[in-house]
Amino acid sequence: MIETLALSKMYGRGIYALKDVSVRIDKGEFVFLTGASGAGKSTFLRLLLRQEIPTDGLVKVGGRNLAKLTLRQVQSYRRTVGFVFQDFKLIPGRTVMENVALVPRVLGETSVQQQRRTYQVLKWVGLQHRMNAYPMELSGGEQQRVAIARALINEPSLVLADEPTGNLDPDLSLEIMNLFRDINARGTTVVVATHDRELIGRVGRRTLTLDHGRVT
Amino acid sequence: MHALRYCLDEAFRTLRRKPGTTLLSMLTIAVAALVLGGFLTVTVNLDRVLARWSSTAEVSVYLRDDISPDQRVALNQLLTSEPVVASRTFVSKADALGRFARDFPDLAAGLDAGAENPLPASIEVRLQPRAVEGSAAEALAQQLRRAPGVADVRYDRTWLTRLAAIVSGLRWAGWLLGAVLIVAAVLTVSTVVRLTLYTRRDEIEVMQLMGAPMGLLRGPLVTEGILHGGGGGLLALALLWMIYATVRPQLAGLLSVVGQPELVTFLPSAAAAALVAGGMVLGGLGGWLAARQVR
Repeated sequence: MIETLALSKMYGRGIYALKDVSVRIDKGEFVFLTGASGAGKSTFLRLLLRQEIPTDGLVKVGGRNLAKLTLRQVQSYRRTVGFVFQDFKLIPGRTVMENVALVPRVLGETSVQQQRRTYQVLKWVGLQHRMNAYPMELSGGEQQRVAIARALINEPSLVLADEPTGNLDPDLSLEIMNLFRDINARGTTVVVATHDRELIGRVGRRTLTLDHGRVT
Repeated sequence: MHALRYCLDEAFRTLRRKPGTTLLSMLTIAVAALVLGGFLTVTVNLDRVLARWSSTAEVSVYLRDDISPDQRVALNQLLTSEPVVASRTFVSKADALGRFARDFPDLAAGLDAGAENPLPASIEVRLQPRAVEGSAAEALAQQLRRAPGVADVRYDRTWLTRLAAIVSGLRWAGWLLGAVLIVAAVLTVSTVVRLTLYTRRDEIEVMQLMGAPMGLLRGPLVTEGILHGGGGGLLALALLWMIYATVRPQLAGLLSVVGQPELVTFLPSAAAAALVAGGMVLGGLGGWLAARQVR
């Protein structure tokens, strides 16, 4: 599913965020990406989402060399990927339903289709009863579940999460991780970047550790 | 169709959420459009006055009392062959006296009824409307002055030339001032739309990462600018109409002195539509400048 070969990303002169990273993540796998702050976790995810282009090396997802994609192909590729942020990035002025339905709406789905899919995915994360609430009326855990629902609305084959539990307490963190496990159980490849080693231990999946831009 | 509807929905949503900055943006467009529209209204009216008065421009050819029949025929042939001549009327000495008595009865009363008529016969030559703008009319006047049997030729176009220069000057001043205000308006709209971009940055980032097409990311911002521009243009038109309605009675009163109060008009409908459309184009340009930051 994901393959990187001697992947490097340099910012500025000689400052490497990633250096010679060669990893392989199979389809349907759940992988933790860990390391201290500045180890290169976020850069790795940004490269997988084609927000960045490698300085050297290769990054392939589903057989596609991401560096070679045109803008239109990048847009099309991203519709197959779900992304979850640490700070949720929910739109304050929109309801839970509007937040989750954002992309189907942009992509031209009818209201009925949007409502049906949004309801299904909110039900899956257990928030169908809060669909008319605004983000500020939700707890941190609920907000992250809404963000996960939004990432899942396109039924992606790959879900990337950057410190998704960084703003949550341990119990809520485990709850969110269980959601990612459920997502993975449906066959979706999941890559979660976190520095929370205790949480990784409790979930127990393959872990890639980054240290100063290199896989250790 | 879906894209258009999405862009309109999002733009109207922003307009509703930010009435203050929206109004500011519309006002700057309105000021630019009002200045342009104001100058346009003034020049359109002055153009009409100029055209009307140009069309009535005449060359008065005063004949010597001793003009011979051959000289009269030659004069008529000259006037017939000139393309700048629209029509001509012969005014005999008796007709001239009659007019004088009608227009200035007090003065005419002083004329000795038994004395010889002091007024000369003349030919009133009406020119083609566009003739006053070129040199052909002046050339004809010169030719007539040299013609045998002609005592004098009156062709005073100085005031018409001056009016034409004023109209031209006003038009340029309008465009110049308008251009400055247009730049200011576009920059203001761009700044206001950029505020939208700033407040929606998370939403736009999420949409980008989920593969939303660029057109739908930038479209609402450009549409917002177009709505600001259209609103500003309509506002300007309304203000212009109010100013026109206030000023018209005075101007019409002024022009009624010369018997042409109907010369004062509002902007032609095509120009009014162009003013609103122009506002929309300017607003769209401002929105597009802001939207270019979405990459």
